[in-house]
Amino acid sequence: MLLNKNEVNDFLETLEKSLIIGSWSFDIEANTLSWSNVTKRIHEVSPSFVPDVTKGLNFYKEGLHRNRITELFNNAINKGESFDDEFIIVTAKGNEKWVRSVGFPKHKDGKCISVQGVFQDTTEKTLIAIQTALKEKQFRSIFQNSLTGMALVSLEGDWLEVNHALCNMLGYTDEEFFNISFKDLTHPKDKYIGDEEIPLMLAGKLDHFQAEKRFIHKKGKTVYCILSCTIVKNYNNKPLHFIFNISDITKIKLGKKKIKSLLDISSKQNERLLNFAHIVSHNLRSHVSNLEMLVQLKKEEVPKVVNDEYYPLFETAIGNLNETIINLNQVVINKINKSDLKSLNLFNSVEKAIGNLNALILADNVKVNISINKNIKVKALPAYLDSILNNLLTNAIKYKKQNIIPEINIKAIKDKKFIIVSVNDNGLGIDLKKNKHNLFGMYKVFHKHKNSRGLGLFITKIQLEAIGGKVEVESKIGKGSTFKIYLKNG
Amino acid sequence: MDEIKLTCIIDDDPIYLFAIKKLLEITNFSTNYIIFKNGLEAINEFKKLAEEDQPLPDVVLLDLNMPIMDGWQFLKQYKINKFNTGISIYITSSSIDKKDVSKAKKNKLVSGYISKPIKKEDLSTLKTSILKKKSS
Repeated sequence: MLLNKNEVNDFLETLEKSLIIGSWSFDIEANTLSWSNVTKRIHEVSPSFVPDVTKGLNFYKEGLHRNRITELFNNAINKGESFDDEFIIVTAKGNEKWVRSVGFPKHKDGKCISVQGVFQDTTEKTLIAIQTALKEKQFRSIFQNSLTGMALVSLEGDWLEVNHALCNMLGYTDEEFFNISFKDLTHPKDKYIGDEEIPLMLAGKLDHFQAEKRFIHKKGKTVYCILSCTIVKNYNNKPLHFIFNISDITKIKLGKKKIKSLLDISSKQNERLLNFAHIVSHNLRSHVSNLEMLVQLKKEEVPKVVNDEYYPLFETAIGNLNETIINLNQVVINKINKSDLKSLNLFNSVEKAIGNLNALILADNVKVNISINKNIKVKALPAYLDSILNNLLTNAIKYKKQNIIPEINIKAIKDKKFIIVSVNDNGLGIDLKKNKHNLFGMYKVFHKHKNSRGLGLFITKIQLEAIGGKVEVESKIGKGSTFKIYLKNG
Repeated sequence: MDEIKLTCIIDDDPIYLFAIKKLLEITNFSTNYIIFKNGLEAINEFKKLAEEDQPLPDVVLLDLNMPIMDGWQFLKQYKINKFNTGISIYITSSSIDKKDVSKAKKNKLVSGYISKPIKKEDLSTLKTSILKKKSS
């Protein structure tokens, strides 16, 4: 097909536009530079713009780019060397663009007469390339410095690249990795993990999956991991390779195992304790109650028996044994359900507890001051609240100071979570430095010592804890004590 | 009626049985008593009495922990066999387990829970309340 000149120009023009490739030529003898329309458009100058060499070179960005093109252009003219390189220009409108500039010197009789060239806008391409390079650099940096193990794995399951963290995790150098397949490092029991997902990923039906998987360290130990697997595809959606993210969760796993075994042990112990309580409550008590019945019957049948010096001792010993068993049974408190807790009026409960101790209060001439709002309600088990108040009030009276009138102040305040009841006395006080650890412990529990605080406070504490409360104490020797009990707001 | 004719004791503990027999005698609790070593023995005897149209005991003092058939199982069998519900059944146990007490309270066949050791006064109170119930 033959084309006339106009047609050729039109064709070239179309081609130039579609590729954004312009052309230029420089006639050395006439010292004239001409630019095609596309070249002008790349420079963002008007179609009537008349270029010359100085103007042309000045479009190149000052410094590196302008120096380089000047050198290349001079070499083309003086040495006949062609050039092809990329530069930044600053257009007439002040925009920076990446361009590819190519120049071919033309010779006649061994002398350079002109330079012709093409001029291409490569901004978009270059920027993409720069961005890609940046992303690649970022990925490299993430890959190498990541704290989790990372690897590129081929579609066949061979290691392509592994990072430091993975090397450390499994004990191999990266060179050693390439001689072992992914499956070789997998714990035998976890070999089939992923067998379902990998084919789906290859078929394009799944992009990603996560699984818990064990690997074998070079030294033979098991490494518990979470594996996250992603497939990487090319622009045609063709799978290229996998990216594996592998986190070592061995410490967490072993910690969990330890916690579980401790939990097993303590629940077994708890079970045994409940069994023990059951035995105490049923078997031991039935023997004691038999003894009590026998002792009473004997007295009934043979009233004279009380004159026997052994008999009252039997009676007392059996009575003590029974009391000990009842105490022992209280120590093991059955689990309380929330539904067992009742909303109780605190003031009434305190009044009742004081009423029960009336004999003691009158005998010791105790002054009791109550400052409790009559509307305050607490959540508690009635039997426990009675027992707790009874214990605290009994202690306050029992450990009074000689020569002064015993005084007990009972107050209640509300805070965000609790009703705080404080029972304050002006009694002997407790050396908290010495006794803080023993005060609520089972210390001296089964000794019938006159001054023992042991069991009462111990039971108070466990009863309070069972109903979601707690107890605190402040005390000074010779000044008195304040017990604060925290009860759930009812 | 001012008398309890027949008291039934279901318990496997020989010492308790010795003591309760003595107490029943001392308190003049009832004209007669029968003793069974476990729930099954009692159920079998009750069945026989029912077949022969003989009266069942007026009062049952029932222990909870027994071999072969315990107190709870006895109550179940009692219900299944549809024995006379007019009989006063009292649980007599050394258990102070709150669960046992509340379980006994919930059972409609059970008239009360007496915690061992049983005292002379317990039996006197019991007798009064049973007789009151009977005459009303």
